[in-house]
Amino acid sequence: MPINQKAEASAHAVVSASNKIKAGVKEKLKDPFFWSDWLVVLALLLVIIVFGSIAPESFLTTYNLNNILVASAIPAIIVVGQTFAVATAGIDLSVSSIMTFGAVSFGLAFTRGWNLWSCALIGMLAGLLAGFLNGFIISVRKINDFIVTLGMLSIAAGIALVLSDGRPVQVISEPLANIAIGEFGVVPYLMIIAFSIVLAAHFLLFHTRFGIHLLAVGGDPDSARAMGISIVKVKIIVYSISGVLAGFAATLTISRIGAAEPAANTSILLNSVAAVVLGGVSLFGGRATIFGPFVATLLLQALSNGLTIIGVASYYQYVSVGIVVILSASLVRTSQ
Amino acid sequence: MKKNRLLTLAIVSVTASALVLGGSAAANAAPKSLKSIKIAAVVKGLDNPFFIGIKEGIEETALKYGVTVNVQAAPGLNDDIGQANKLDSLAGQKYDCYIIIPISSNNLSQAIGKITKKGKFVVNIDSPVDAASLKAAGGKITSFVGTDNKAAGKAGGVSMVKLIGSGKKIGLIAGLAGNVTSNARIDGFKAGAAGSTFVGPENADWDTTKALDKANAMLLANPDIAAFFAANDQMAQGISKAVKAAGKNIPIYGVDGIADALVEVKAGNITATISQYPYVMGQMGVQACIIAAQGGKVPKSTITPYHIINKSNIDKALTNKSSRGFFPNQLPPGNYDNPYAKKIKK
Amino acid sequence: MMADYAIECIDIVKSFGSVEALKGVSINAKAGEVTALVGDNGAGKSTLIKCISGVYLATSGEIRIGGEVVHFSSPEDARVAGIETVYQNLSLIEDLTIWQNLFLNREATIGFGPFRILNKAKMRADAETMLKNLDVHIPSIKSRTRGLSGGQRQAVAICRAVGWGSKVLIMDEPTAALGARESVKVEELIKKMKSQGLAILLISHNFDQVLRLADQIFVMRQGNVMAGMRASETSGGELVSLITGASASKKGS
Repeated sequence: MPINQKAEASAHAVVSASNKIKAGVKEKLKDPFFWSDWLVVLALLLVIIVFGSIAPESFLTTYNLNNILVASAIPAIIVVGQTFAVATAGIDLSVSSIMTFGAVSFGLAFTRGWNLWSCALIGMLAGLLAGFLNGFIISVRKINDFIVTLGMLSIAAGIALVLSDGRPVQVISEPLANIAIGEFGVVPYLMIIAFSIVLAAHFLLFHTRFGIHLLAVGGDPDSARAMGISIVKVKIIVYSISGVLAGFAATLTISRIGAAEPAANTSILLNSVAAVVLGGVSLFGGRATIFGPFVATLLLQALSNGLTIIGVASYYQYVSVGIVVILSASLVRTSQ
Repeated sequence: MKKNRLLTLAIVSVTASALVLGGSAAANAAPKSLKSIKIAAVVKGLDNPFFIGIKEGIEETALKYGVTVNVQAAPGLNDDIGQANKLDSLAGQKYDCYIIIPISSNNLSQAIGKITKKGKFVVNIDSPVDAASLKAAGGKITSFVGTDNKAAGKAGGVSMVKLIGSGKKIGLIAGLAGNVTSNARIDGFKAGAAGSTFVGPENADWDTTKALDKANAMLLANPDIAAFFAANDQMAQGISKAVKAAGKNIPIYGVDGIADALVEVKAGNITATISQYPYVMGQMGVQACIIAAQGGKVPKSTITPYHIINKSNIDKALTNKSSRGFFPNQLPPGNYDNPYAKKIKK
Repeated sequence: MMADYAIECIDIVKSFGSVEALKGVSINAKAGEVTALVGDNGAGKSTLIKCISGVYLATSGEIRIGGEVVHFSSPEDARVAGIETVYQNLSLIEDLTIWQNLFLNREATIGFGPFRILNKAKMRADAETMLKNLDVHIPSIKSRTRGLSGGQRQAVAICRAVGWGSKVLIMDEPTAALGARESVKVEELIKKMKSQGLAILLISHNFDQVLRLADQIFVMRQGNVMAGMRASETSGGELVSLITGASASKKGS
């Protein structure tokens, strides 16, 4: 019977479709990425639940959640650059120094009476220059990324001190400060800026040729080269991005603290590496997400915020942050 | 109270201007009970004995009065944003008053602005917040407690001239070039020892070894140097080695009163150290907060005491030992003027 | 007629300093045929292949494609000319998905100028077609190559190589790392490509496989081609003696 056949066929189609979905879900569950992505989200939820139940009247307020978002914004931007570097099986140890170099460059332009846009541009150009040099030396001279960026850490910090003569430059500007203070609804401007960069980075990594080439270079440089991908080009772009983002983060830092400080803030560097690892990015390169490290940045800031609120002494905060990093990293490893 | 004449050079200047607190706190009929007062403190990184002294002062004073205190340190030495994040985190909570030591003169201004808008009090200790950036952020400081490095240096100068006589040659060793604290101490010393001839100041970057080298060179060029003044104790220790190596025995003064320096004073290697009292800074910070929380009039700015510790009072200074071994002379010997203590309502 | 050959190498010499790795080698391959290259390790097979695929520049000699003389200064040039090589390591990126590997460095995009985004839908659809055309069955083109079996990887690498309208496919020991069942599948794949009109240059140590698959065989020894013959005219025994040099007679090609 034709009707029967039709029904059979459509039933078959339904079964095969549901099988396809099942297969899709299975595929997802088997993918270590799926787990490392969600693990950090679970960890963030856990932190929120724990602190929320210990100190509901102070932790779970819009005011405080706003604080966490503000605190996460600048690290989140630095983490994007670090994620790119680690995805190429590299690392950028110079982010915090480049940030300081960018801030001091901003300050120099500001004291010469340049407008804010030009100052911010100078800060980003300073970051671009340092990042480009990192990428160029790593890829063309084929020197280990750890060594090159460690050298740049020192060079950029030193140049920042030379340019500023070790003195902070006060930058009092209402429009600039408003970036740090302002909010759109309950979301601080800083977080809107940071999240836009995160979205752009996600797009770059997963929806452009460059993104695929970046992952290919990180995963297997020899095969990538055999397929005609230029490792030099990819690495120079990656470290330049990291540098520019550090230079941009410098402007946001100035908007928050109202001064261009000449001393490098190494906490930013440690935080960025921790967030990348927590976010499930492979230190061996080739596998990365942008949202994982972003959520990990929120996690680290929420943790620090919560511990501060419930009055845990600073000494123990170091210990607990370290434990969270190692624990999550080993959980990610187990799930893989 | 009995004062030891040999050691007294305690100068505590209190600016007379008292800040009248407006708003709801002053309007309350009954002062807040001590038990209900909550204070939060955000200090610099705890990797320096000076700041640990402050932290001890805050915690032990809070314990003494029975007020609650939450002391938080910046996550790292230069983590200006991290420190601002900490203060932001605490600003949303039900603290009556905040004690702060900013890492830079600007980094906490925005966070202070938020606190001021909530009608809470901020007591600034040690390093002052920049007035312009504070104004821009709409913040207000209820009281400032700090040291007067110039006065400390001056007291050292006066004491030294008393010891060696006027018109002698004195070697000066300073900290980092351009450092505000170092300059204040050296300038103060020169004023106190006016009439003497000065060699230097040479910058030894707060470092013991560098001070040793500089002192060696100065002694070679000027064998008639009659005494040395260093802008901190570590450098005074370096000078003492150079002086000994040159086979001389001349007075050496340092500043700070760190534990090592006290041992050297006891051993006779350093003549004196002009000791400052971070513990007292913490103590006065808590007291200022309590007064503010109770709606009282808080003195606008106070300078903590300093003392010259030498052979005559070293034993007493050493017995006044802190539980953690840093800054053993946590409280100045004898009495010191505390404009806050008497204003607290028990 | 020269144009009968998809690829023809004439008197290729390749020296590394004073060492002559290839001493005037001439081979050819016809479209729709499997041409096998056999010989001991060090006979010069790999060097010859690298000359053909643009990795090395031959010291002297000529390479003709479809009768025209070509000069390759990079693997990219060879690829453009229609020569694809599947090396033993396959050059697959383990952490990328199958379709990403198939399109690596040839990604389809939409947009203009520098503002181009990946056309994932097209690439996925094309990837399905590429695999289907060669009867390769893989559960999902969205899975990463890391999880594939050796035979599946070989199949993906072959699909990638032939998926671009190439005329000559060079395969270096395609089944050396595979088990018996997977080897059979890869051999079927080779036959399939042959039937689609590709010229296949096969390097293999497996004489049974060579005799099963090849239409034409070249034997190399010490940088020379010792013999070239139709596969139907030889035997395993003869191949062995030619490779080891046990038989001194040199057959003309």
